Amino acid sequence: MMRRLAIGVLMVVLLLAGLGSGATAQQRKVVVYSALDSEVTTRVVAAFTQRTGIATEVLTLAAAGTLATRITAERARPQADIFMGGSIDFHAPLARDGLLLAYRSPAANDPAIGREFVDPNGFWHGWYIGALSIFWNQERLSGRAPATWDDLIDPRFRGQFVMPSPVTTGGGFIFVAAQIFRLGEERAWQWLKQLSQNAQQFTPTAPAGIALVSRGEAVVGMNWGHDVQAQARNQGFPVGLVFPPDTATEIGGVSIIRGGPNAELAKEFVDFLMTKVPQDINAQFGLRYAVRSDSPKPMGMPDRSTMRFVKYDRQWAIENQARIRQRWQAEIGR
Amino acid sequence: MWTRARGRVTADPGLAVAVAAVGALLVLFVLYPAARVLSYPRLADYLAVPANLRWLQAARNSLMMMVLSTLTATGVGFLYAFATSRRDLPLRRFFQALSVLPLFAPPFMVAFSYILMFGRVGLVTKALLGLDVNIYGWQGLWLVQTVAFFPFATLVIGAVLEQISPTLEYAARNLGATESAVMRTVLVPLARPGVAAAMLVVAISVLADFGNAVVIAGGFPLLATEAWFRIEGLADLNGAAVVVALLIVPTIGLFLLERLWVGRRVYTALTGKGTRIEQPPMPPAIRWTLFGCCALISAFVALVYVGVLLGSITSVWGYNWTPTLAHWRLGIAQGGAQLLTSVKIGALSALLTSAVAVLAAFITSRQDLPLGKAIDFLAVLPGALPGVFIGVGYLLAFNGPPLILVGTPWILILALTFWHIPLGYQAARAQLKQIDRSIEEAAQNLGAPGLRVLWDIYLPLLRPAFTASFITAFIRAVTNVSIVVFLVTPRNLVATYSILAMIGGGFWGAAAALTTALLAITLLGVGVARLVLRAGLRPIGSV
Repeated sequence: MMRRLAIGVLMVVLLLAGLGSGATAQQRKVVVYSALDSEVTTRVVAAFTQRTGIATEVLTLAAAGTLATRITAERARPQADIFMGGSIDFHAPLARDGLLLAYRSPAANDPAIGREFVDPNGFWHGWYIGALSIFWNQERLSGRAPATWDDLIDPRFRGQFVMPSPVTTGGGFIFVAAQIFRLGEERAWQWLKQLSQNAQQFTPTAPAGIALVSRGEAVVGMNWGHDVQAQARNQGFPVGLVFPPDTATEIGGVSIIRGGPNAELAKEFVDFLMTKVPQDINAQFGLRYAVRSDSPKPMGMPDRSTMRFVKYDRQWAIENQARIRQRWQAEIGR
Repeated sequence: MWTRARGRVTADPGLAVAVAAVGALLVLFVLYPAARVLSYPRLADYLAVPANLRWLQAARNSLMMMVLSTLTATGVGFLYAFATSRRDLPLRRFFQALSVLPLFAPPFMVAFSYILMFGRVGLVTKALLGLDVNIYGWQGLWLVQTVAFFPFATLVIGAVLEQISPTLEYAARNLGATESAVMRTVLVPLARPGVAAAMLVVAISVLADFGNAVVIAGGFPLLATEAWFRIEGLADLNGAAVVVALLIVPTIGLFLLERLWVGRRVYTALTGKGTRIEQPPMPPAIRWTLFGCCALISAFVALVYVGVLLGSITSVWGYNWTPTLAHWRLGIAQGGAQLLTSVKIGALSALLTSAVAVLAAFITSRQDLPLGKAIDFLAVLPGALPGVFIGVGYLLAFNGPPLILVGTPWILILALTFWHIPLGYQAARAQLKQIDRSIEEAAQNLGAPGLRVLWDIYLPLLRPAFTASFITAFIRAVTNVSIVVFLVTPRNLVATYSILAMIGGGFWGAAAALTTALLAITLLGVGVARLVLRAGLRPIGSV
């Protein structure tokens, strides 16, 4: 009986010994929640530590919504200082709910950075750009490759088109809003109905659609260009990619979480992200365009100046988001 | 003699403390987080549900999948458990070992592997058979959920079948019963608590399952995944809380159904009078039919592993079949250290799960104890809650007074512990039903207090249930993703977390490699657990 008890106690003690052994040593450090892939995240925070001598503790999850939810849930006792990556569409609602700290980085005054990339209230700073693209499986595509949004409603793609659902993803929503800005609201809905006849699936998450086309489960898709390049083309899948005229973008943000453990050091992190080094890293390893005009373009991707963007009204899009999603469910129905 | 039962709790302080402790734990770690999630949305958010067409569709689809997958998974699970309970089944040990295998896989890997095997560029469908198959949608999900969840049914039903004494079969035969009559009148009725428990466990697992659905359901909305999409795609905590609230309704229905079906009938097969008679042999026709069924089911299970293994060493699936170790190098470099953390957290939580589950089952099987019904409900409830619900609930509940756990490994350990309680609890309950009270009465007449009865009489008899509970809880804790994404801390990263990040980043080869490594370590952990639990518990009976 005693021996049995002793074995049990010993087991529990051994298990505990390994847990939480990183007892928080008092040092200068910033806690970062990153919605970017782990390679870019690792390189960016290493460069930050090298530059400033400030240590970092990082939680990487390439799902901005999950991180934003986590930040919301931790409201009473914030665990992190920095929310890095993910569209500003995720940062703006956090600011609205009073979860972010306003800060105007002096580094953002650099002439290489456009005004539109910094929140007028200072709650978020944009530091990279992603653009929507059309992509296809080269082995399964017969005939001419699609080059414009209107090519997507070609009947030859019936049942072979995939894109992220506008109801459950930010990318899908930006696509629908872009069509409204391109065609006007009523014509856009007619067009979207035609498109839905070609759709095999509106995927609930964005990366799922890339995997479907890569593996030949579908022929053509719409998704973030940098993700297609990184997850399909650079993995060796036979996938073609084009940024059609009238495409739309997301602005990737960084923001400071209000009440986080190290608010002052967090400001230095935001300053750092507005400089060239991290934006170059993101362009090189994450294939995302830098907001700085003096950063090189991502390898294998077209120059940003050759891309044609639709006139996208972010304010209108955010205000009408709920209504557009409702109408999508009523008229497209999936 | 049961008239003095009421007085027993007060007369037995040990038992009273146990009831209070288990009750308090379940209230704090099950009821409180659930209440926090449900009270989080405003009333208007709930009232807007009928206007949301996608959610109504999701509710219908979830119920449909629950019925389909529960029937097939429990059916397959019963067949498999029955076949492997027969001592004269060829390759019996092999089949038993293989049936546990799907439990080792993170659920999305079953779906992932079946896409590799049966999709448009599938190894089986395209490369071998030359077919053009679309596996995405409800049919694919049905297949995957059947394979993923039948082992739960097998574990629960198997533990019950093991306890049925062969003397009953001999008795039936001596009275002239045929094979089918023995099955119908002896084995099936005695297995009924097990089958009912298994169906309940499977049904709520199917309802809460999002791992498979996320990968293979495609554009087919389901409640559990919808909750996840609200959070992942839209950071909409309100919407997620509303959707998971919808899930709780069918679960309570299931719970009541199980109570009614199993009811209060007496299912005593294990008595104090020991029997050590061999089972009667099966006729060859039946034996080989069962063998064929087991072989077929096993083939489907094995394919999951073949897919993951091949996926981890193939350059580009479907296009470039050259073997490579690049995925392994990447996977181990990024997730190697996290494998160890996974095992530690999994083992600790599984130990806690089994202890609380067996104690709770012991308490609620005593019909005469107060609070039994409440504890019974709380012990089944977590199985009905999707992982994202538990994850968010713990974040909301333990981020402030009275108990602050956020940022420590304990929040993850406890969430996993209490989420998995129903598995151990159902198995222990089903088994306790079969233990004849005369054993307990004998102990009581000899002066043993209530907890001593548990320790000396029930615990040794519950060993299969305890072992099954520990192993199942351990595997599910180690392979969990849905809770982990919310509660993991930077200092205690676990392997599934990295796997999810790799899948999100499109590094499916590395994800397959890390999963394979996780499986190997999990198998090792289970082997050690079996040895320790046997060695640790065997002497109890001979004290």
